[in-house]
This record gives sequence, structure tokens and C-alpha cells, in this order.
Amino acid sequence: MVMRKLELPLSQTQKVRFKRAIERLQSLSSTANSDASVIVTDSIPVNHDDAFLKGHGTSEVDGELLATVCGVVERVDKLVYVRTLRARYKPEVGDIVVGRVIEVSQKRWRVELNFAQDGVLMLSSMTNPDGEQRRRTSVDELNMRNIFVEHDVLCTEVRNIQQDGSLQLHARSEKYGKLEKGQLLKVDPYLIKRRKHHFHYVDTLGIDLILGCNGFIWVGEHVEVRDPMIIVDQKNDETVSSSTNNTLKDQSHTTLETRQCICRIGNAIRVLSNLGFTMDLEVIMETFNLSNSKNIDIYDMLGSEFHVVVTENEAERRRAKRRN
Amino acid sequence: MEYVSPEGLRLDGRRFNEMRQIVAEIGVVSKADGSAVFEMGNTKVIAAVYGPREIQNKSQQLKHDRALVLCEYSMAQFSTGDRRRQKQDRRTTELSLVIRQTMEACILTELMPHSQIDIFLQVLQADGGTRSACINAATLALADAGIPMRDLAVSCSAGYLNSTPLLDLNYVEDSAGGADVTVGILPKTDKMDAKLPMETFETVFALASEGCKAIAERIREVLEENTKQLEYRRAA
Amino acid sequence: MLQSKVFNKKTRGGRIQKQVREVYLRDDIYCGAFACKSCDTSAARLSSPKIIVLDTNVVLHQIDLLENQAIDNVVVLSVVLDEVKNRNRSVYNRIRALCSNPAKQFYVFSNHVHKDTYVQAMERESANDHNDRAIRVATLWYQKHLGGTSQVLLVTNDRENKRKATEEGISAETIEAYVKSIGQPDLLDLLAQPTAEDITMEDADDSRPSKRKLVYLEHKPMSEITAGLHRGIYHQGKLRVNRFNPFEAYVGSESIGEEIIIYGRSNMNRAFDGDIVAIELLPRDQWQEEKALSIAEEDEDEDDTVHLAPNSADDAPRISSLAQETSGDKNAVPARPSGRVVGVIRRNWHSYCGSLEPMSLPAGSGGTAHALFVSKDRRIPKIRINTRQLQNLLNMRIVVAVDSWDRQSRYPSGHYVRPIGKIGDRETETEVVLIENDVDYSPFSSQVLACLPPLPWSVSSEDVSNPVRQDLRHLLVFSVDPPGCKDIDDALHCTSLPNGNFEVGVHIADVTNFVHPGTPLDDEASKRGTSVYLVDRRIDMLPKPLTEDICSLRADVERLAFSVIWEMSPEAEIISTRFTKSIIKSSAALSYVEAQARMDDSRLTDTVTTDLRNMNTLAKIMRQRRIDRGALTLASAEVKFQIDTETHDPLDIGMYQIREANQMVEEFMLAANVSVAEQILNQFSSCSLLRRHPTPTREMLEPLLRTAAAIGLTLDVSSSKALADSLDRAVGEDPYFNKLIRILATRCMTQAVYFCSGDLTPPEYHHYGLAAPLYTHFTSPIRRYADVFVHRLLAASLGIYKLPTVFQDRPQLTSVADNLNYRHRNAQMASRASVELHTLIYFRNRPTDAEARVVKIRSNGFIVFVPKYGIEGPVYLTAKGEKGAGDWYVDEEKQKIVKMDGSLSYSVLQTVKIHMEVVEPQPNRPKLQLTLL
Repeated sequence: MVMRKLELPLSQTQKVRFKRAIERLQSLSSTANSDASVIVTDSIPVNHDDAFLKGHGTSEVDGELLATVCGVVERVDKLVYVRTLRARYKPEVGDIVVGRVIEVSQKRWRVELNFAQDGVLMLSSMTNPDGEQRRRTSVDELNMRNIFVEHDVLCTEVRNIQQDGSLQLHARSEKYGKLEKGQLLKVDPYLIKRRKHHFHYVDTLGIDLILGCNGFIWVGEHVEVRDPMIIVDQKNDETVSSSTNNTLKDQSHTTLETRQCICRIGNAIRVLSNLGFTMDLEVIMETFNLSNSKNIDIYDMLGSEFHVVVTENEAERRRAKRRN
Repeated sequence: MEYVSPEGLRLDGRRFNEMRQIVAEIGVVSKADGSAVFEMGNTKVIAAVYGPREIQNKSQQLKHDRALVLCEYSMAQFSTGDRRRQKQDRRTTELSLVIRQTMEACILTELMPHSQIDIFLQVLQADGGTRSACINAATLALADAGIPMRDLAVSCSAGYLNSTPLLDLNYVEDSAGGADVTVGILPKTDKMDAKLPMETFETVFALASEGCKAIAERIREVLEENTKQLEYRRAA
Repeated sequence: MLQSKVFNKKTRGGRIQKQVREVYLRDDIYCGAFACKSCDTSAARLSSPKIIVLDTNVVLHQIDLLENQAIDNVVVLSVVLDEVKNRNRSVYNRIRALCSNPAKQFYVFSNHVHKDTYVQAMERESANDHNDRAIRVATLWYQKHLGGTSQVLLVTNDRENKRKATEEGISAETIEAYVKSIGQPDLLDLLAQPTAEDITMEDADDSRPSKRKLVYLEHKPMSEITAGLHRGIYHQGKLRVNRFNPFEAYVGSESIGEEIIIYGRSNMNRAFDGDIVAIELLPRDQWQEEKALSIAEEDEDEDDTVHLAPNSADDAPRISSLAQETSGDKNAVPARPSGRVVGVIRRNWHSYCGSLEPMSLPAGSGGTAHALFVSKDRRIPKIRINTRQLQNLLNMRIVVAVDSWDRQSRYPSGHYVRPIGKIGDRETETEVVLIENDVDYSPFSSQVLACLPPLPWSVSSEDVSNPVRQDLRHLLVFSVDPPGCKDIDDALHCTSLPNGNFEVGVHIADVTNFVHPGTPLDDEASKRGTSVYLVDRRIDMLPKPLTEDICSLRADVERLAFSVIWEMSPEAEIISTRFTKSIIKSSAALSYVEAQARMDDSRLTDTVTTDLRNMNTLAKIMRQRRIDRGALTLASAEVKFQIDTETHDPLDIGMYQIREANQMVEEFMLAANVSVAEQILNQFSSCSLLRRHPTPTREMLEPLLRTAAAIGLTLDVSSSKALADSLDRAVGEDPYFNKLIRILATRCMTQAVYFCSGDLTPPEYHHYGLAAPLYTHFTSPIRRYADVFVHRLLAASLGIYKLPTVFQDRPQLTSVADNLNYRHRNAQMASRASVELHTLIYFRNRPTDAEARVVKIRSNGFIVFVPKYGIEGPVYLTAKGEKGAGDWYVDEEKQKIVKMDGSLSYSVLQTVKIHMEVVEPQPNRPKLQLTLL
């Protein structure tokens, strides 16, 4: 029985191909750590003589370590925890996340991050538009809407996690801030690995790709990291024409080619997400290229055939990788 | 009415200790954090879980140190043969509450303070045992959503008709007016419609518990398969 | 385990509704043949290499044949069972009984869930065709499955089904052909007559088709009836034929609210007693006319037999007709609507006991003869049967079943089932009495007997050490019963306490210690409901070892009992009551006569006698108090036979004498029952089994009042107390007068009935005759199942046992109570019938003169009651057949019949001398005739 069925009509041959590819994937991974996957209430074997630390997704009942979630058992030194698969985002300090502003309130923005609570971005955790380090004034507070309004997409970093579980964000760098001219994609957080780099610039296409640790992915037109001078200019503009800055910016036209690239990458990510494959720049670009090389239209990318092709490709890729 | 023939067969051909066919599928609502469809014979329930997420209505939050679990149960109008106006009647409210309490008891709510978990249940087809099917579907959906739980709450009904304890009553058997017990293994047992003496209750209860174990086995299989697949697809 | 789903459509309440049902097809359903290699034979039944599969119509119509032991090795398919169940419940029960009897080798094959014989309904296929196809598929499966080892034959009377079966390669036969092939010609008589839907038999009587005319109106089609009921044109109800006048029937209809009378066979339109019928009301102007006609008919039949004096209104003939007959002349508007049957919704046909109407033997012997069967039950019309053994059957009591009744025939047609015995033979007639009253007199099955404790039984050490059981062996307990009583269910003790009070105990046999709920023994007892006492034998409710030994509280043996123990003041006030299970050892089993003699003999001063006297004193006070409260002292004309031990023929009849000792025992039993009723109702307010006696309505007491008025006596019937007082005052010049009045009063009351306390409200619990707010039966568990039930309730109320599951199930409890009432009534009617039978046998060789009392005036005579023999019968002043009062006229007011010239008159309650003699107006039909001296 296939648990997570593709909600797509597959022809008979596609079905067979898909099944074969999936089986290949399975055989590739089975050698790795097949016994490590657990489901709720499975007992996790631990050596009780050695001290161990129980981590996330475990609980000790009658001297037995039980899983409380479905996932994969991971052991890091003495720590034993269950890495969940499908679940909401589990923040760690320093994670780069993409989020959407839900609410503008007193000195803070509330940001939706696919976490158990909304993230909080304090005005004080924000680099001033002018780049200055200073106390926030009530004027700044009044001008908060000039920076982010509801539904804006932004990129921030996890500052810390409070005792009560609430999440503090900060955006003290030029690379963080509002994201425009692109697509926000939501995938399951377990599909994105924490890496050194989450910002990617695909220079060949002029595209920015931000893989937020919380499973939100930004694909957008490349924006040069603005130097402070330009920002000052902008600020002047803003003060003059108040909130018309959006329209001003939109005047800089995004080419059709770029927009198509954004869509194509977006769909590549969607396909990978549907299939449950881990995402990094390499895989995304390979999928992107695959669609190009197979001459598949953007809208056809979400069709059955491309899903099967990607699956087969993934199986091949992993096999190649293992050999190396 | 004869619900069990002298040959020991029920109206639909099952024996007293046999369950209906169980079909379970995970991940049927793409938007939800977790979802599942659970079928027991002709009873079919879809469950979707959202959360843990920011509490939407702060006034509902009673305890600050744990997650708020909300449950909404409804019955599709097409779920039974005769189309009935669905209203927020007592039965619906009660069922919502029962399921909510059951699920709340098994979710480790203390790990997710200041958040809420919404469970939506809809009966797509009703043929007896909707209560049990709802609990089972909810369990699957919660597990799919990666919400930490103490145990898998599973439920199965059993009744007492023609002086025979019967497992997993279908609609005809359920509406026969005999006593029936819906047992949720792990947290608690819920209600009964007719009186039953203690000894009989025990046998009926034991039968329902056996049914629960079988369902738990089935649910575990489904989850295990699901987890394995997610993992090998994700790959390292 | 394979599974599949079917979709059925089903209408309900006029709406079409789609019903989806699952069917789980199985591979663990076995063929049931011992010879089978591949199936599990642990539950197999079929041993013969010749196996027959039955079609539904064969089961429905030929059940009597199937019950014959010549038919065995039969496969009964579940689809057939299902259809039979829907069509005829009683046939279903019978075929089920056959299937559960291992000796019959009937095997139920659940073909509807077997993976190879499951048949999916086809488009536009009728349910009937579908079933037929399923039967063929299953038969074919059997043929293939048992292939080499057995021969499989489909027996069907459906021509179409047979044709298709043959086409499909199934060997199929009609039941007639099959029976012929067995080679037992007697069995052919058991065959039901083929109806239109069956194959028409070649030898069916086509001798007089030309002169056939329609006797009855057509029954309306079902759809029309449903529509008519819906629109209120027709009324639905159960037809009840007057037990004393088969030409008059009643339908209690909810839609009309009162009973509708149906006069005459043509209006009854082929409906039988107990059928659910649809009726239409006759126009108002026809109501009267029909009635006048009916009385003409009625006079022929009613009261022309001498029978036992009725004991209650339930036994007595309907009295309405006479009252209305006379008043009808003045008053043109009759009180009750009358109607006509337009259709039978559900038949209540079963088999009936009786004999063939005398007829001359047909010329050729061995051929088929048509005969008319006359049922013993007068409510049943004559039944036409075909027989090949007329000569043998003419003098026999036989059982006959009804098959059909078409419009052309005056009488229904049926078939012979089995013989009972020779007419007039005591054994035979007794059996007829039992069958007629639905009394199960078959020996107890081995499963039932297996529930008995091993014999010889004695009180074990576990019983003694059981904490719930109190050891009362030290008490001086004794029993007082009729002489020769073997099933002693009650014993008494009475000791003086130091404080001047008395401890009085009633010890009842602890039957529930041996009869456990849910066992075959309990089921059987529950089904029988009561022991039945006939003149010459007793049909036990419980097997003999329990009845006469283990439970019976015999003298000088230790027995288990359930005791009610009171502390009573010398004024017979109950100070405290307790209930306990106990062990007792009765020191004496006295008869009423012995007990009476001891009490009367002033020389005796032994403890038993003293206790007896003390108890008697208490009982008298209790009795008086009860009477003061309004309890009625009613009287019945019970008679006692002396039976010849050799021939079992009655030697003498006499009135049953009631002594003080009887009353004493009765008083304590009443008190025990009341105490128990209070206790169980207190604990189980909604599931107790109680006994109530409804207050008689004024209408019911009408005949009594009229009789009393005629002799110048006024009775106050406003309450039981008032009635009791006025009965006490009714003292005439002769000593028997008061008793006679009481007998008449008793006759007006309905019987007390069992009921479940949850079904009625507390005011309705009242027992009128005893003037007790609560009453139940606790004291005779050996012979009444109600008492067993109450024992369980009482034990549960004391926390000794848990309450059996049946008490949780209200509908089942109600049905148990209904069954008890039914059995109780039947048992009484059977005993009465048995007494009547023996009376007849007694008078056969003894023409007797006796004193009698006129109890009812008729247009052509009067009805007398003979106190000495407890019988009642008509005395004709004019010869029978001469219609009209002729020389006599009836004075309704004074309840008198007066000769035209005024020379002679007879009034009600008058003493007359009569002569009793058995005459045989027709051969084999002896009856008792009363003539005036």
C-alpha cells in the first residue's frame, strides 16, 4: 500500500516506472539506516548502563525509552532523539527563516513561520533603514508600517527561543529584510537541511533563492545587496512620497524571462516537495535543468509525467552519488 | 430480530469477533499539517489536523502551560441514506467533546505551550461506529502532523445483541437498541446507550479491547510504512 | 476471508432509500456432509449419500411433511430460511427446530456469505428470481463439491425454477415426485394441497369445476389495502373469533377505537382466528340486520354443550349478545359497529386438532377421498382434506394443517399431519386437550436433563458453609398440602418468642439454586411457564427429579429453601420481615385433612399442633383484616375426582372442600407474596415481575347486577370493599345461596395477570381481588416460572446473585410476562378441559339425577349450574330446532321464563331437578345432555 499517494492520474506505464523508481530509492536507502525509523510508542533501544540524554520526541516510561513522534532515531554522543519527518518547524538559534508578516503591533511584527507560534520581530531587532545604531523613538514606531506591513514576506534569523516557547527574530543585517518580486513556496521543513548557506544567487538566471530553515522558500529576482547610500536615498524618497515607495520600485520592470525562471524554479520545488525529496540548490537546479532539457512547459511540470521523470532522475542521481 | 444466525453469522456474514475491513490512508489534505482517511467497512471518516499553531482566540486558552486542543466533528449530509439537515445538535457537540478529550489525553500538550491544535473530523459515510472511526482517523492525522503523543489512541466498538457480544457494530446492528460500548484504548472508555450487567459488560469490553488492539496493529503498520517511505524518499 | 459489497435498494415509509450493506464472503462455511474430504466435518449433519436441497415454497407449504422422520439429509439454505422467516414466522420456528435437532440431519448452509455461492443481484431481477437463482447456484455447488460421494437433488414446487434447474444440469424434482420415490404412500397425505402458484397436480379434483361458484368476496390486493388503511377506509386489526360462537368475530382496531363486530362467515371472508385482517365498516343501517341474522345462527350452536362452570370472565361466553338481543327490539341503534373483512394481511394458520366429519366410505378403497375435518376448537371452520386412508382416520383424532382457502370453496383446504388416537379414548382426548391449549407435554430433552444435579442429591457441606445460606435445620418446620402432593414448594414454621411475639417463617423450595438463568433447563421452564394439572396427570414445568425430590420440601430430609421470616405480634401485626436463603429439615408433611384434624383434636398438645394452632389464630386475624380492607371472598365450583388407580377412569366427583387449614396456608402464602413484592419493587422499580388484578368495569359486572336485581338483591360495586360487604349481606333462605352469588360474581372478573413493573404506573399495580396494592407470586417456584423469576429478583435484591441479563431488557421482560400469562391461561383451560373430559367419562355409564340452579335465562330454555359436579349446561324447554319462543316467553326484568298460559315459570337462581345422561347424537361424538325432571 502506498501511503502518501500522488494525487495525480498515472497511466499504466507511468505507474510501473514510478513504482520501479520508488523501489530503487527504497533499496538505496535501506542499506543506510533502515531500523532507525520509529513510530509513536516504539521503544528505542538504548544501553542503560551508559548514561544517555533523552532528547526531542522521546519519553521514558517504566525505564523504557519510547518515541512520542514518528520519525528517525538519531544519536549524537549521549543524546538520543527522534528526528521528526512531517512536523512543523523546530527552530534553532541562528536559523535563517523566511516568513510572512501577520500583524503589526506595539514595537513588533508578528511573523508566520510554520512554527507552533508566530515569530516576533521586535522593532529594536531591526537594522534601521538608515543603518544607524540608536534607540528607537516613538517616531520610528509610528513609521513601522513603512518598513513591513501585513502580508509582506521577509527573511530573518532566529535570535532566541524564550522559555515559554515563543520565538524571537532579528534582522540585523542587510541581507535580511523584505522580499519582493518573487514567489514564496511552502514545503515541509524536514525537506530542507540546515547548511552553511541558505542564500543562493543563481547568477546565470539572475535569481535569488532563499531556502528558509522553516520550509519557506523564496524564489525571486536578484537584488543587489544595497549599500547604505542607496538606502539613504530611498529613505529620503520615502519621507517624501510616504508609502508610495512600492509603486516606485515596481517601476523597475522584471523581464518576462526572469519571471518564467522564477516560475520554473518554483514548480521544480513543488514537484520535489510533492515527491518528498530533500531540497538543496543542487537538486533544485538539476530539476530546473531537467525540465528545460526535456522541453517541458512550465505548466506541464506539475503533471504526472514530470513527477515520474524527476523520481527516476533522483534515483539515478542518488545511485551515482553513492558510487562516488 | 435475529442479528446473529444460529450458525454464528451476522447479517453481513461476519462472525461475532470479526471486524469490518479497515482502510487507512495518510496525507489526504495537502494544506493540513496532518491528515488521514480511516474506513471501517462502509464507515469513512476524514480527519485533518492543523497545528500546533498560534492561538486564534485567546479567550479559549485556559491553561498557559500547555497546548489547546480543539476538535470539530461534523457529519456530511450525504453520509447517510436519507439527507438530513445537519445542525449543531447535542450529539454532535457531545461527540466533538468526547473525541477532543480523548485526543487531548494522549497528546503531550505540555511540550507546546501557547499554541493550539485543531482537529477537524468529517464523516463521509456513516455505517455505524463513527465514533471509533473518528478517534482512529484523528490519531493517524495527529501522528502525521508530527505531534508528540504518549500513545496511539485507538477505538473500537462492541455491542451485545441476541445474547452475543459482537465486535465492531455496523449501522443496522448499532441501531438495534442493544447495549454497545465504544472503547478507546489508552485514555478512557466512553459512553454506553443501554444498560449492561457487569459480567456481560466485561466480556463486551474485552471484545472491544481486542478489537482496539487489532486496530492499533493496523494503524501502526500504516504509520510505520508512511514513516519509512518519507525517510527513504527524503534520503541523506 | 474474501469480501465484497452489495447495494440494495429498499423502501421504507413510502420513500425510496438506498441502503448499502456490506457482505463479507467467507471460505470457512462447510458443506456439512460427513463424506466430504475437503470440509471441516465437526459440525456436519448429512450422513446419507442422497442429499436434498429444498426450495422456499417446499419449506413454506410442506413443513408438516418435513417434520416426518422419513425426511432427512436435507440442506436448508440460508436464503430459504430468510425468505421463510419473512413469510411465515411459525414455519420458520419449526424449520429452525428441525435444523437444531441432530437426529433429523438437517444442515443449514449459509450460502449467502459463502464465497462460491454468493449471488449478486442482477439488474431488473425480482427478489424471488434472485433467491431462486441463489438456490440453484448453491445446489450446483453442492453437486460439484460432493461430486462423486453424494447425489444432490433439488426439491422444488416452482415449475419455472425446476425447468431452469434442469437446464443448468441440476437434478430437480417436485415434492410429490420425491415423496412418491421414497415409497411410503402414507406420506402423501401429509402433502399440502398445491395452490395456484405451485405446480397444478394432475390428480387435483377437476370433477366439479363447472358448478364452482364464488362463495366469498375477493380479497383486495395488498396495495389497495395499504392505500385504504392509509386513507382510513379500511381498518387493521387482529381477528378474534368468539370462542362460543364461531360466526361472530371481533376486530380490535386502533383507528376506530372500539371493537368492530363481524357477523357470519361471509363477512369474515375466509379469515381465521388470530389473522391480522383489513376490514371495512358496513353501512350503519346494516348493523342491525346482520345482528338479527346472527342470532338465528347462534342459537344453533351456542351453549349446546355442557361445560364446566366458568371461573372468570375470561372463560365465560361473551354476554353482550343476549343483553342486546332483548333490548334490541326497543332500541334500533346498535352500540357496536360491524364490518366485513376485505383482506388478510397476515395469516395465523397453524395445525388444528379434531376429527373427520362422519361420512360413508367411498366405493373403491385405496384411492383419494375428500373429507371434512372438524376442529375441536370451535372457532376454526371445517377444513377440507384429501386422504388415502379415510378408513383409518374416521375414528381418529387427527392433526390437520391449513394450506389455502380460495373464493370458490366454502371451506379451507388442508392436509392431514398426523393421528393422535382413537376418538373418545381418554389418552387421545387428553392429548387433544394438551395440543389445543398449546401445552408442551413432550419429555424433557437430554440437554435439559443434563442441567440437573447428579442424583441422589443431598445438601452438601458447601451449601451449609455458604455464608448467604442460613442454617434453619433446628427449626420445627412442616408443610401442609393436599393429600398425595409430591411437589411441595412451601413449608412453614412458627415459634413463640420470649417477648410474646411469634416468629413465623414461610420456606419456599429454592428452585433457583438448581435452575440457573440461560441454561437449557431454564429456557425450557420459561417456555413451559407452569406445570399443568390434569385430572389424571401432571405436566411438569421442571423435570421430575427436581419437582418431586430435589426441590420438594419433603418430610425428614434436608432441603434448600428461600425463607421469608416475620416477627409477628399476637395481633398478627408484622413487626419485622427478613428474607434469607436457608437449609431446613421439614419434620412433617401434613395434608390439609391431617392438619385440620390435629387442630381440632383438643387432646393433642405436641409442638406441631401447638404451632399449627398459633398459626391458625394468626391467620384468622390476618384474613379478617384482609377482608376488612376489602378483599373479596370469591368462590369457584372446583370439583375433585376420585380416579381408579387401575383404569384411570373417574370413580366419583365431588365438590372440593375448603378447610380452615387451607385458608391458613393460603393466608401465609399471600403474606409472603406481598412482602416479597414490596421488597423487589423497592429494589428494582422498573423490572420487577408483579401480578395485578384489574378492577372490573361496571359493564363486566352487569350480568351479576341484573341477576341480583331480578331476585331483589342490590349489590354495591363501587369498590371491592363495598362489593365484599354486599356479598356478605346476600344471604338467602338456603345455605348455598351465598356461595352461588359469589360464584356468579367471580365469573364476572377477569383473571389476574403478570406484568413487568416498568410497563405500568404504580396505581395500576393494584390487585383488586386481594385488595392489595402490590402482589406477586413467590411461593410455588416448582410449578410456576413466575415464581422462579421472582426468586431471582429477590436474591438479587439481597445481593446474593447478580440480576440476570433478561431483566435489563424491557421488551424481553414484557414478553416473558406475556408468555407466562398465556401459559397460565392455557394451563387453566387445559385443566378445565380435562375435568370436562372426565366428567363426560364419568357420566357415560352413570345417568344421574341432581339438583341444579338456573343461572341464565334463554329464549328457549335456561342454563343451569350443577353445584355438585361443577358443571353448567343448557336445559331446553322447547325442542331444539323449533325457532321462536313458542309456548314460552322471557321476562327480561325479572329474569324469568314463563309459559304462555302462566302455569309454569322458571326464574334465575331457582333450584330445579335435572337428569344428566351421556347421549351420542352422532357416532363418536358423545355429549352430556341435561333434561328437566
